[in-house]
Amino acid sequence: MIHYPAVVVIASLLGAFIAGILAWVQERYTYPAALIATGISCAAAVWDLIYVAGHGPIAYHMAGWAPPMGIEYRIDTLNAMVLVLITAIAFLNLAASWPNVKQEMPDRSPSFYVMYLLFVVGLTGVASTGDLFNLYVLIEITSLSSYTMIALGDRDRGPISALNYVFVGVIGASFYLLGVGYIYIKTGTLNMAEFAAMIPNIQDSTTILTAFILCIVGVFIKMALFPLHVWLPNAYSYAPVGFARIVAPLMTKVMVYVMVRLMITVFGLDYIFIKLHIADTIVWLGTIAILAGGVMALAQTNLKKMLAYIIVCEIGYMVGGAWLGNDSGITGAVLHILNDGIMTFALFLAVGNMVYKLDRVEIKDLKGLFAGMPWTMTGFVLAAFSIVGVPPTCGFFSKWYLILGAFEAGAWHFAAALLISSLICAVLFFKVFEVCFFESPDTHDGPGSDAHGHHTTVAIQEAPAISLAVLGIAGISLIVVGLYSKTIVVRLIWPLLNP
Amino acid sequence: MKLLSLIVVCLTGGLLLYGTADLPDWGDPNAPASLHLSNYYIENAVRDTQVPNLVTAVLADYRSVDTMFETAVVFCAGLACFLLLRDFTPKKDHYYRHVPTGVILHVKNPDRQVIVGNEFEDIDKEWLPPDTIIKTVCRMLIPFIQIYALYVVAHGDFSPGGGFQGGVIFGSSLILLAISYNLKYLLKRVSEKFLGILSAAGVLVYMGIGVVAMVLGGNFLDYEKYAPIFGEHHIRALGMLGVEIGVGMAVTAVMVIIYINIVSEGKHDEGL
Repeated sequence: MIHYPAVVVIASLLGAFIAGILAWVQERYTYPAALIATGISCAAAVWDLIYVAGHGPIAYHMAGWAPPMGIEYRIDTLNAMVLVLITAIAFLNLAASWPNVKQEMPDRSPSFYVMYLLFVVGLTGVASTGDLFNLYVLIEITSLSSYTMIALGDRDRGPISALNYVFVGVIGASFYLLGVGYIYIKTGTLNMAEFAAMIPNIQDSTTILTAFILCIVGVFIKMALFPLHVWLPNAYSYAPVGFARIVAPLMTKVMVYVMVRLMITVFGLDYIFIKLHIADTIVWLGTIAILAGGVMALAQTNLKKMLAYIIVCEIGYMVGGAWLGNDSGITGAVLHILNDGIMTFALFLAVGNMVYKLDRVEIKDLKGLFAGMPWTMTGFVLAAFSIVGVPPTCGFFSKWYLILGAFEAGAWHFAAALLISSLICAVLFFKVFEVCFFESPDTHDGPGSDAHGHHTTVAIQEAPAISLAVLGIAGISLIVVGLYSKTIVVRLIWPLLNP
Repeated sequence: MKLLSLIVVCLTGGLLLYGTADLPDWGDPNAPASLHLSNYYIENAVRDTQVPNLVTAVLADYRSVDTMFETAVVFCAGLACFLLLRDFTPKKDHYYRHVPTGVILHVKNPDRQVIVGNEFEDIDKEWLPPDTIIKTVCRMLIPFIQIYALYVVAHGDFSPGGGFQGGVIFGSSLILLAISYNLKYLLKRVSEKFLGILSAAGVLVYMGIGVVAMVLGGNFLDYEKYAPIFGEHHIRALGMLGVEIGVGMAVTAVMVIIYINIVSEGKHDEGL
């Protein structure tokens, strides 16, 4: 019997409660316990991926009851890939953020790690379950832990941005739950695979249409698609660094995964693209999200806020791509879940290192950073290139598939938005590089004085070695994933689309 | 903006109404929801799980993973209250009441730890002597409430009830103690550390039952695999009792944690 699908989720959950006890008994063992738990989850996820790529999907029956009576965890190549992404980032971030957590919350770091593990449990669970209601319960764990963590961040702005997030997040989750309720009343099942088998007979039902709209809108709110994004920038930029680094790359991406899962597995591509005629509208929504995210990012003076708006823009890529209605588009969207996860992780790692040394990351405060933190900036540049889409970083390849898909579907507006946003990102990042590279830190004597007159040598003040090492790993994986994109697409994504 | 919200609300309401157009009739015995899974549960649950209460059978056995995660959500709520509200800054003013005489000492800004003898009681500025009637009535009621809570937990698989309800009742008995006496009186008996450990241990009991089932060769939470140890008879009911006890522990602790942190704004002195 294969237990790994359960182990991925359970290892972190077990770790959370053992750490929860250790936090009271022996504080100093909390962190190692958390690290081991995420490590085990990560190993199990990698094992899942290897098995699934070779042998096809795994179905794990929780409590020994076959679906639809019991709850099924179903791992195919799509969720195996997302699970590896989640657990690897969770593990690496935990290793990298040890100094940041110690700096930011010395008195409550043990509880922080417990909450962190619960968040990871929620994400891994969302990515592995094959049951619609179980998915809701796990979204609840994920949201509850992220509300708490965000409120722990910035002393003044953290709680208020968390409160905004609570209001919007609860609405999103309720929409999803309502949708599941409509599904249940019409079909009597909560299992995704069984529902998918029923849908050809009930295609014309208005209840199913309502359920679909409710679920999708709920997921859109949770993933911060453009008009529904208002909670995201504040929540992510005022969160504590150790948490921002995991919530920014993963939360929205996992919700995109849920959307793709609802499209491919639950409602089915036939229902969505042949029966309903909303795909064009949603591609337009994606296009608007890309442009709006990019323009709002241009207006930011704070590096964290800027990155948060770039996330809004990237969500547009994935939503638009998935709804183009052809294989290239959905391939690009799924590949972009992986790539954007890694890119955003690398960016936030670098920003976290800057926060560790500088405390504030207004763009004007970053003068001379290339000299002061050369390694951090190298990682930052690499991740920025990937966001812009410079080959051979991975961002290029998913964008390539997205643009191909846009051309195939004749969605010229989407293709144009992709290109424009690449330009906007280039402008954004070069603006940052300019400040970091050309302006020296000691030239605050006002306008008129010659900035290049007195170049002082800046002492190198790097972030702790462990944070840099993790940034290095993230940077290398940006290129490795880029170089192996073809393998990922052929081995992991295409089997999903043409079973 | 208000108009916009109104439009969104109307659209959502319209959508919900539109969705009902195709719903099965109210109480229709041929509705899909009452034909598909419900039938299976009604016909087989007692045979499968040896538990007469079908709701418990579905919650704690067929869909036990959902319930485990719900317990984790409860734990998460307690931890959130602790993390966000708990205030560790030391107090400036200390008040000690000499119990035999009723004299109150006020210590301002002590530069080191004040060590008081047994006859002193650590109190707050707003301290009031507990009312005798309230105190006596509550003292008489609390044991019965607690026995009832244990009954509800233990009888979850036979009658309405279970870990969540029993845990809430037990937790409220402790909260009643805090209200009728004061918060410090409760915390002297049930320390914060104990509550913190109990809340995590409760969910750990639930999970532990699942993980041990995996070690014994079954799937996660498959109670059947305990048969070699506890015997075939009512093994699933026994497993459910085990997880209900875990849920009860976690819910009790979390109720009290939430109460003490909210009423005292995390300072753990007298709030209400």
